[in-house]
Amino acid sequence: MSSANQPYIDPSEIALKGSVVERFKNRRDAFWAGIRDAAGAPAMVLFAGMVGFGAMGKTNGMDAWFTGATSFFMFALPGQVVLLEMAITGSSVIAIALAVTLTSTRFITMTVTLFPQLHEKDRNRSLYASVHLLAMTAWAISMREFQTIEAKHRSSYFMGLGLLCWLISVPGTILGYFLAGMVPPAITLGLVFINPLFFLLTFTEVEPWVNRIAIGLGFILGPFFFIWDRDTSLLTTGLVAGTAAYLFDRKVLRKKAGVIG
Amino acid sequence: MNTALQGWGLWIALAGATFGTYFCRAIGVLLAKKINQESEIFRWLAAVTYAMVAALVVRMVLMPIGLLATVPVWIRILICVLSIGVMVSKPTRRLVPALLTGTLLMLAYGVMR
Repeated sequence: MSSANQPYIDPSEIALKGSVVERFKNRRDAFWAGIRDAAGAPAMVLFAGMVGFGAMGKTNGMDAWFTGATSFFMFALPGQVVLLEMAITGSSVIAIALAVTLTSTRFITMTVTLFPQLHEKDRNRSLYASVHLLAMTAWAISMREFQTIEAKHRSSYFMGLGLLCWLISVPGTILGYFLAGMVPPAITLGLVFINPLFFLLTFTEVEPWVNRIAIGLGFILGPFFFIWDRDTSLLTTGLVAGTAAYLFDRKVLRKKAGVIG
Repeated sequence: MNTALQGWGLWIALAGATFGTYFCRAIGVLLAKKINQESEIFRWLAAVTYAMVAALVVRMVLMPIGLLATVPVWIRILICVLSIGVMVSKPTRRLVPALLTGTLLMLAYGVMR
């Protein structure tokens, strides 16, 4: 979930390179390479985030089944946090579903930048199943690695990568849940803090200026909308700050390309 | 504070959230065949998304619920600033050291208080 979680990249960077040296012998080889790559630092960060989420579930009085189920079924940390926070504050089911859906809109852009790079043969209905494995971690790594992988092995690589990330997130969540109940409050405090900190840190890697401005405006306007009406605050902040950033980018920044961005 | 969602309400909310999350992924697959990632609507959607996640993060840091709320707000902000300092201290961004810095500082505060 680290670098380049911005949905926009230079199209030339994702252009398929025709003459890539065969990196993997077969699909199985590519699949296991994906698993191996996931098992490093990226999965550890994701795991830590999920441990923090589990601790958050525990300290807010959710049960272990529910907390673990969010990781299994949703597998999208920001969305899970929105769900938990809104459920705790007693938002309505409709408001929760809408807010979570809107925080997940990034998946649309992530999917449309990643999947066109797969081999023609792999771009079939099975993608509707494997897209569940797509989260920021697997996306960022795939965007980087696909350029050195021949098209026919990319889908296997992605499957290995995403599968491990998904599978470790559930035990991570449950571990965090029970750790929070057993360890001293000081350690729980550290665990609970991992999530906000993690998102905050990933913001430093967001590239296009339009998105940076959106984040800055979100920081400033978020608390005001929260005080005004907590249930809809994420939606309103997103729409107001995001639209303002978009318009500013369109009317001002893009006119003087080269000066900024 | 309102009462928290409980029992079935909670699981129905999860079902709705799961559906919404998967819906966005599936739309992505659908659009991946014929998408122009340069289009205006996607630029706008991305900006809205980032603003929303930023609002969520600032809320988690400034107005948390539960255990984190017992930590003075200036300590929370100070630790965030220090962690970001570690993060941007090198051109090759160092996520793991920055994450460790923040988590350990928060843990240290918890031990000392």
